[in-house]
Amino acid sequence: MPEYERLRPRDRHEWAFRHLLRLYPHAFREEFGDAMVEFFRDRLADVRGARGPIGSVAIWGSVIMDTMLHASLARLDALRRTVARVFSPPPRAARAARREDWMLSTLRQDVRIAIRGMRRTPALSALIVTTLALGLGANSAIFSVVNAVQLRPLPFPEAERLVQVAMQDPYFNISEGEFVDIRRDSKTLSAVAAFSGASITLTGDDVDPERTESTQVSERFFKVLEVQPMMGRTFSAEEERFGGPPVAVLSHAIWQRRLGGARDVVGRTIGIDGALVTVVGVMPPSFRYPPVGSGRAADGVAGGPALWVPLRLRYDSLWGRNNHYLSVIGRTAPGRGIADVNTELNVMGRSWKAQYPDLYFPAQPVAASVRSFRDALLGDTRPFLLSLLGAVAFVLLIACVNVANLLLVRADARRKELAIRSALGASRTRLVRQALTESLIFAIVGGTLGVLVAFGAIRVLVALAPTDLPRLQDVGIDGSVLLFTSLVTIATGFVFGVAPALAGAGDDTNETLKEGGKTSTTAARGAGRTRRRLVTAEIALAVVTLSGAGLMTRSLLNLQHTPLGFDPRGVLTMSLTPPAPTPPLAVAEAAARSVQFYDLLLSRVRAIPGVQSTAASQRLPVDGYNAWSILVNGASAARVADAPLATPDIVTPGYFATLGITLVKGRLLEATDVASSPFVVVINESMAKAHWGGRDPIGGTLRVRAEGRPWATVVGVVRDVRAEGLTGEVPRMMYFPYAQSEYSAYYTPRSMSLVVRTSGDPSLITAAVRRVVHELDARTPISRVTTLDALVAQSVGARRFSTALLVGFAVLALLLAGIGIYGVVAASVSQRAYEIGVRMALGARAGDVGSMILREGMRTGVIGASLGLAGALASATLLRSMFYEVTAWDPTAMGAAVLALLVVVALASAIPAWRAIGVDPNKTLRAE
Amino acid sequence: MPVSPRDPTGDPRLAIPLRPADFLVLLVLAAGARHGYGIMQDVEHHSEGRVQLEAGSLYRTIRRLEEEGMLTESARRPAADRDDERRRYYRLTAYGRAVVAAEADRLRALVRLAEAARLLVPDVG
Repeated sequence: MPEYERLRPRDRHEWAFRHLLRLYPHAFREEFGDAMVEFFRDRLADVRGARGPIGSVAIWGSVIMDTMLHASLARLDALRRTVARVFSPPPRAARAARREDWMLSTLRQDVRIAIRGMRRTPALSALIVTTLALGLGANSAIFSVVNAVQLRPLPFPEAERLVQVAMQDPYFNISEGEFVDIRRDSKTLSAVAAFSGASITLTGDDVDPERTESTQVSERFFKVLEVQPMMGRTFSAEEERFGGPPVAVLSHAIWQRRLGGARDVVGRTIGIDGALVTVVGVMPPSFRYPPVGSGRAADGVAGGPALWVPLRLRYDSLWGRNNHYLSVIGRTAPGRGIADVNTELNVMGRSWKAQYPDLYFPAQPVAASVRSFRDALLGDTRPFLLSLLGAVAFVLLIACVNVANLLLVRADARRKELAIRSALGASRTRLVRQALTESLIFAIVGGTLGVLVAFGAIRVLVALAPTDLPRLQDVGIDGSVLLFTSLVTIATGFVFGVAPALAGAGDDTNETLKEGGKTSTTAARGAGRTRRRLVTAEIALAVVTLSGAGLMTRSLLNLQHTPLGFDPRGVLTMSLTPPAPTPPLAVAEAAARSVQFYDLLLSRVRAIPGVQSTAASQRLPVDGYNAWSILVNGASAARVADAPLATPDIVTPGYFATLGITLVKGRLLEATDVASSPFVVVINESMAKAHWGGRDPIGGTLRVRAEGRPWATVVGVVRDVRAEGLTGEVPRMMYFPYAQSEYSAYYTPRSMSLVVRTSGDPSLITAAVRRVVHELDARTPISRVTTLDALVAQSVGARRFSTALLVGFAVLALLLAGIGIYGVVAASVSQRAYEIGVRMALGARAGDVGSMILREGMRTGVIGASLGLAGALASATLLRSMFYEVTAWDPTAMGAAVLALLVVVALASAIPAWRAIGVDPNKTLRAE
Repeated sequence: MPVSPRDPTGDPRLAIPLRPADFLVLLVLAAGARHGYGIMQDVEHHSEGRVQLEAGSLYRTIRRLEEEGMLTESARRPAADRDDERRRYYRLTAYGRAVVAAEADRLRALVRLAEAARLLVPDVG
């Protein structure tokens, strides 16, 4: 250790300087470290003497610059020395080395010339670098999202062999019986597993109960994915059987958080829903399958379930064949593909239908829908991400065009310099290479700054991104993002560099020199033409971007204006799961206890100041799909397949009032609809239309298709509610009263969502509601506390996010296009100053000259816009799947895009036109 | 074995022209041994503040000139007082003295040329 590191620093400055010294290579530090500290100490003392404490701060600028530069150079020295030691060139290689030397030296010269040129026009250089940094930075940022979400390999060995098996409508998922058949008979899948999500409450004596997600998995679940536990083991076949031992495999996150990462966790027990369960294993942190909840759930689950428990199958139950609730995954056998699996499963489907005709809908085939894991996990995000990548690439292209234009302007100004160098013997190739070197340096500086821009942009993106974007937590700058940025940077350098390079080198040397470098020649006009073409392309690109953004905005507006059927404003919601009674009660008694609990809870919540009304329901609008087989109007159905489907909800009487769902006919549910009174049900308009047509549904009857369930009388019809998200169909709904649900709706759920309508800001009463729940039962976990507004917004979150970004990019594109056209028109005005002077001297009116210039700008604008419109139609057709109730050729969006662009073009041309009018013909003519 | 142009045993004329900062450092040392900070102060003084050396640039220059055999660490210290043990003093080698002289000669020839071209008024003082 050099001495300077051992000595105690005399003050903070010296301490900081010692740390800076670490940037030097070790050997250099060994040799000069002490002397440099001494040097610094002297310098500090001098400066303090001369300028006081402020001086000691002021020297840091030059000290840091010096250290950055010379530490890097010293490192280069060290590298060169090592290289020289390893490759001392044999004499025969000397020639090649000399040639290399020559090439290096011309490169060095090129770089030097380029840097000199950049410094001569600092404002222009800064503009170019900033444009590029923004364009490249935006690209890196979006690419890092695409990379993390789409491109990175899935974290499973041989992930391309993994498939997700599902059924086409109306079954969608797989039933237990079907799963067992597939597992036994499939030849195209070498391993198959099933799973199903379940919300659980983590319980324990010394910790608060916590509501979280678990996944029930069949025996070979981990085997199919080929993942190993970090500690312990996964499940055995024995544990899959009904009544098997209670065991669980923990996620890394829950192991850390709930059990403090205890090493001896395997074999210990944890409380799940009040029962003790033995921990048999812990998964590594990277394993977060299947995705549950949101990408950065507040409960720390971070995308995956908190734990996995065995799926208990009843192999022989017929009911188990009708209940399609399992997700099934598999690994294809060697040499088999997705199509093979699909074919095999379709054959199985036909045999199931023949074997159990009662269980399957007669009119529809039992068809499989097998997707690759990648499609199943990430497929939905692809069009959105690709459209963003496309838009940001367009922005970069437009930025390139602008930079090319700026360089062309400068090339015009440097025409004479180039002509002289060419006259002095610089070859045309050399000049082109020189110009390209310059644009590459611009690109590299821009790209480097762009990475910094991307660092910032990624933070903003991740903060704003919808939480259901998969793998969001992995977004960041890694090797592939840097590689992408480097490649795009270099490509960018060529794209914007080629036109100016060729234009600059293409001049006739003699002509240019004769004219003294003035710019009224045919060559200059040629450059002007190049620039005009570039701007035309730029305008076309801007129109494509704008129209895409316009179409997406229209889609979003259409979605947001879709009538929801309920009023989400000012409604607080949270999920509650009171613990199961201990000791266990008979089913009916337990149900009565739940009804009592919610009655009491709701009456207390109602008493909180600011609460207008409150209710509980099993599900919330925008929640998701679920359907039961029912019977209507006393009919019977011998086969499940003959029974119609309807979506159930179980609600307390205040539900409709709290959500603002209006009554169309009859009456709403009342507090008097209790277990001992006649069974009633409220249906929605879609249900009424489907089963009663034009007749009056009030007084009609329906019941769930199960033995011994009572008929319920339809007492009311309410308006349709978008219950399956904004883009989904309106389902046929039936609302059962909570107090009767034990009889009329299979069971009385303990987990319910509380909805509270408030007169003010709903978040203000959250604490009060929590307190009420805890006073009633401290063991009741509260989860998913949010507002109904937020839930509705979240269902369009991804769309809102990408639309906002697209609009941002489109505005940027529009701005850049405006700058581009301004540059071209302004340059043309200054080139034609003489001509304009002559015209005005000959009596042309200012208005004529102005409109001539305006016309010129508009002509470019119109040509560009027409080309852009064609491109917009083509790209909109590609993006069609993302639009909502908007056609790809939506005249409003397209018209608005073209109009916005033409307005900007007009403004951008008006400024030079205005200036041209101000030209004094006397002055211009004398100047020539 | 090929002779390196900056071989300390070789012709000092092969080592010129020098970089301005190198020339100034060597010039300062021609007047006697200096430690790092002393070199910096003299260089700043001689160049009328135009050349300012920070620790990094100074010690990289010193190392290079040392490797090229133009200067070396001095065993003798000018004075024992106000002297810190850790200070390192440098002095010119004979080769270094020859190189800095050759460079000065080259610069003088250039100045003569400029005077002949009537770009400079000959300095009669």
